[in-house]
Amino acid sequence: MRARYAYALAIIIGIAIVVCFFLDEIRTVSVLSFSLRYAVPLILAAMVGIVCERSGVINIGIEGQMLMSAFAGFFGAAVTGNLILGTLIGIGTGMIMGAFLATGAVTWKMDQIIAGTVINILAVGLTSFFYVQGQVLPGNTPIVAIPLLSDIPLAGPVLFNNGLFTYAAVAIPLILWVLLFKTRWGLRTRAVGEKPSAADTSGVGVDPMRFWNVTIAGALAGMAGAYLAIEAAGTFERGFTAGRGFTALAIMIFGAWNPIGALAAAFFFGLTQGLASQLQADEVIAIPQQFINMLPYVLTIVLLAVVSGRIKPPSAVGRPYEKD
Amino acid sequence: MHRKIALAAVAAASAVVLAACGGSGGGSSSSSAAGGQGDCPGADAFCIGLVTDTGKVDDKSFNQSAWEGALEAASATGGYAKYVETVDPKDYENNINQFIQAQYDVIVTVGFLMGEASIAAAKANPNVQFIGVDQFQGEEIPNLTGLVFPEDKAGYAAGYLAGLMTKTGKIGAVLGTDTVPPVKLFGEGYKAGALAANPSVEVTLVYHAPDNAFNDPEWGAAEAKKQLAQGADIIFGAGGNTGNGALIEIAKAPGAGESIFCIGVDTDQFFTVPQAATCLLTSAEKKLTLGTRTLIEQAQAGTRKGGNYFGLTGLAPYHDTEAAVPDDVKAKVAEVIAGLDAGTIMTNVTL
Repeated sequence: MRARYAYALAIIIGIAIVVCFFLDEIRTVSVLSFSLRYAVPLILAAMVGIVCERSGVINIGIEGQMLMSAFAGFFGAAVTGNLILGTLIGIGTGMIMGAFLATGAVTWKMDQIIAGTVINILAVGLTSFFYVQGQVLPGNTPIVAIPLLSDIPLAGPVLFNNGLFTYAAVAIPLILWVLLFKTRWGLRTRAVGEKPSAADTSGVGVDPMRFWNVTIAGALAGMAGAYLAIEAAGTFERGFTAGRGFTALAIMIFGAWNPIGALAAAFFFGLTQGLASQLQADEVIAIPQQFINMLPYVLTIVLLAVVSGRIKPPSAVGRPYEKD
Repeated sequence: MHRKIALAAVAAASAVVLAACGGSGGGSSSSSAAGGQGDCPGADAFCIGLVTDTGKVDDKSFNQSAWEGALEAASATGGYAKYVETVDPKDYENNINQFIQAQYDVIVTVGFLMGEASIAAAKANPNVQFIGVDQFQGEEIPNLTGLVFPEDKAGYAAGYLAGLMTKTGKIGAVLGTDTVPPVKLFGEGYKAGALAANPSVEVTLVYHAPDNAFNDPEWGAAEAKKQLAQGADIIFGAGGNTGNGALIEIAKAPGAGESIFCIGVDTDQFFTVPQAATCLLTSAEKKLTLGTRTLIEQAQAGTRKGGNYFGLTGLAPYHDTEAAVPDDVKAKVAEVIAGLDAGTIMTNVTL
């Protein structure tokens, strides 16, 4: 039922894109590139949410995890003079922030919302306090055009002529989908998120499983942060994640806790942003851009209302597991 | 279970305290000005206090420009100047009060965000003269002057240059939100200037949505890239960090500094965004140093009036792109700036 709506929407958008491509190639390609670029951190952050919630842990601290990683990644790269090292520092910081949430929410069995909020507050405080002006990255990340594939009309310039983070952001949801639904790890992850007592009875360690999943998900948040600072913006500013970590949670819901669904939803978010700016640029201002920017949020609400009861979060999400 | 919640509360509280540390650090990080000027020696001396907006006094931007103006005024009037750096916006009031308690004659507050704190302090202390840099005054308070700038003129000069320089006939702008008047003035002025220089030029203005309008460099970068892909060869970035994101992105484009250029805003962004130096043609500049100095001198002479004082605008030096700009273009742009200052050229921009 839900899938049918989603497919219909995807097909309509797909047809619209192809039609636009034949009408105006340059505009279509540049708007789609904008959309994908805007979607990259949202995709990665939504994957963080999916891994955590599928394991039964709400991660409201994605924003803070991204901000902290962007900070560490940017200044790491600026100080060491090495972009790769900076990226690794960013990802490592994300993992540490993941472990921080895991310690609070899983080991200490803290309220998960509070644990996530602590991360957000901590990240804003620490990164603002230690922020230094005038630091510059040692260089730019390369744009890698994939031979042959990048020559395909429409898909080539949009999908196959990007930075490495972008390829990762497209590949990770596909890999994660396979991992979640086709492997033993995935089955166990979903078990501890849906029915931890059953998982426990069958010999799966609920808390260790949750702990490591939340920690590893932190690495993805680290990647999102490193992308923002090192590849996308080329700078770090206080609070410049600008709410993307929270938007990612909406995308996770929009994508029904499914990595591929979230990938599509994030691209859709990006597309609305791209369209909003293009309508402005072409002075088609019949619709105020605020309304277009609002569209994905409105659609999420409509979708949730229409299919209420059909999209369900993992049933044990938000509750620390305590043995009876 | 209760213990866990208590632990969480402790962690949350310590995080808040930590975040607050950033703030309280601001008051204590005040330092005396360069040039041997210490604390205000007493009621007889003419003492100038400057409160920075969040950031350092050597930020190569608003804070530094205003501080240089204060220093120039101090040496011209034989007065004393001192600054306090604000680390957190909630310390604006405290930092202003430090100078009030030390009986300073003039207090300069830097930045649009300090507007409310300046008005409150001015009303509470009618004997102290206040200068609010970049703070538009809606109602006139006798002891508070807002140093504001006709952004449309600065934008017009930048647009005029862009209109003469473009080879593709398309120029763009990545802007903060049009709900903030100065940003819209920059944008519309830019468009008017470009069309005045070259009536056939195509100008694309794109504003960010109002939320996080000035702190979204990723959006700014993506938007700049989109405009480049659509054929624009000169892009004006005006919107704090959002605009800076655009400048940094343009500097990465092939041909940056040769056929692709960017234009900064407010202060000379050659210094504030060094990553963009390769593509930076110029910056649509507000002459903050001159304006601050003039107002302080007026304050000492007793000729300062309440309300708003309009400072001058112009374009920053070309720096690295100096060779790329033909001499006749430079001459025409200089002529236009002079005309704008003199009032012989009108931007005809209205909000």
